Amino acid sequence: MNAVVVADALGHAYGDVVALHHVSVEIPPGRVGLVGANGAGKTTLIKILLGILDPTLGSVLVLGSDPQEDAIAVRARIGYMPESDCLPLSQTAADFMVYAAELAGIPAKAARQRASDVLTLVGLHEERFRQLGEFSTGMKQRAKLAQAIVHDPDLVLLDEPTAGLDPEGRDEMLDLIARLGGFGINVITSSHVLTDIERTCDWVVMLDAGSVLREGPLSQLLDTDTVEIEMFDDPTPIAEALSHAGATVTVTHRTIAVRVDDDDAYDLIRDTLARSGTGVRRMGTRAQTLEDVFLHSEEAAAR
Amino acid sequence: MTDQGVVYDLGYKPHEGPRLGRSAAVRATTKDGLRRMFGLRRRARKKILPFLLFGIALLPAVVFVGFVFLTSQIGAGDIVETPFASHAAYFDIAAGTVLLFCALSGPELLIPDRVDGVLAVYSSRPMTVFDYLGARAGALGIGVGLFMLVPQLILYLGFAALREGGFVSNLVTNAEDLFQIILATVVYLLAYGAPAFLVAVYAKRLAPATGVYLGVFFGLQAVADGFTNAGTRWAAVAALADHPGVVRDWIFDRSSADLVPTRADLAPWVSLVVIVAIAVLALAAAVRRYRSLL
Repeated sequence: MNAVVVADALGHAYGDVVALHHVSVEIPPGRVGLVGANGAGKTTLIKILLGILDPTLGSVLVLGSDPQEDAIAVRARIGYMPESDCLPLSQTAADFMVYAAELAGIPAKAARQRASDVLTLVGLHEERFRQLGEFSTGMKQRAKLAQAIVHDPDLVLLDEPTAGLDPEGRDEMLDLIARLGGFGINVITSSHVLTDIERTCDWVVMLDAGSVLREGPLSQLLDTDTVEIEMFDDPTPIAEALSHAGATVTVTHRTIAVRVDDDDAYDLIRDTLARSGTGVRRMGTRAQTLEDVFLHSEEAAAR
Repeated sequence: MTDQGVVYDLGYKPHEGPRLGRSAAVRATTKDGLRRMFGLRRRARKKILPFLLFGIALLPAVVFVGFVFLTSQIGAGDIVETPFASHAAYFDIAAGTVLLFCALSGPELLIPDRVDGVLAVYSSRPMTVFDYLGARAGALGIGVGLFMLVPQLILYLGFAALREGGFVSNLVTNAEDLFQIILATVVYLLAYGAPAFLVAVYAKRLAPATGVYLGVFFGLQAVADGFTNAGTRWAAVAALADHPGVVRDWIFDRSSADLVPTRADLAPWVSLVVIVAIAVLALAAAVRRYRSLL
């Protein structure tokens, strides 16, 4: 697995304001979420990856090339959907997509074909001859995504792709992003909306105040070390039995939360329940959202 | 077989053809610049002014060559040798339209990309800030070249055809004219195009940028004229509109007594230095501003 981005002790400051501090991260291929509150350093990191900003400390490789040393090599292989507007309002969607493809070196004939294909992909084929200035917010977001992938990049950087969208538009945009991985395009999605990242990404990098809070596969981050057992009847006897056997247990109403330190804990729960013959309404690993992970990580970092 | 159409989802097709790289990006940006300046692939109203100006620049050459052709048919072809028919004099006719064309095109080339945020798209394409600015300047150069060179070529070919001595012979004999025409065109491009870029680098809207450009040109021209008449000789340096005319006359080795810098007794090289200095200033300002954006 070759990492698409390798950052080593990366830092950037705007004057006295530190935007990125000692960021070391290896971002694998696939769909990766870059999450963090506003001002966490997400956009600064993206601008460094594009070669627009130079890091004040450390180094970074994007698809094996250094954007500061060889921005052309990096830019030839990436696409970028900025958070802010990036569409020429007096041009038609079709003309701009052809232009965006030609800018990336796609020959004119192929550029026209790709522009048509990509506009179909994002659901704007019927609107291709309308001026971009006449587009709704949702259509503009889709056009922004289209220009980012019209040249078939190896990596696409999406900065807050759902900003300003209504729930329906947001759903459509997230579905599109989720499909990009299947096209062989690596995706880095920057967002402060954690549910968007949960829906579209397999790997997450959490930034907070310019530093990496946590990183790893989404499934691993969402895993908890607690099994929840919801009982039909009074949970006290089971909780006592588990506690007596050495498990760490907390009881809330009819739910018992058992901390799982190793695989033996699962055997203990199974055996205890089987011996008691008590009815169980529900049992499973405690569900955790990315928001929970982020908040817990923030708290842990603050301590 | 059914009578209903079937839609097949062909899925995503990756691009497997060549990628032409940086030079293609520069060519695409230049082509886009030309389309913008002439309003091509845009609404009809965007085309009106540039094509009207181009028509005004072109029409006198066509009319003059046609007129000389007609008069030559009745034995009065000597009119081709009048001073009005010279290449140098024709620059005066075209210069006004080029000034207005630059006033419209400079802002059109730079401002929408910045205001609409399109620079973010360029920043994810294989090109540098110099490629972008070079391509935009190149587009303006081609536009100004069309305004200046097409009418001059009509005159050049028309004169060659109508003068005595034979078409090919006249083309060869007057080949030096072509070199002078191209040199003078570059001077006009720098003199009128560079200030348009300078204004466009900082302005946020098209119409005010055009207004500021024309205001500065005509305002400074009036100031220079007034102060020169009052005896302040070096005020003629501010006569931005007249400097290319002085250099043009230098190139064509003719008198430019009616132009403000000449009336102030400034040497032609002073006009050339002013033109080049403003061009360098415009380039430096553009690079400085766009380095943080691209």
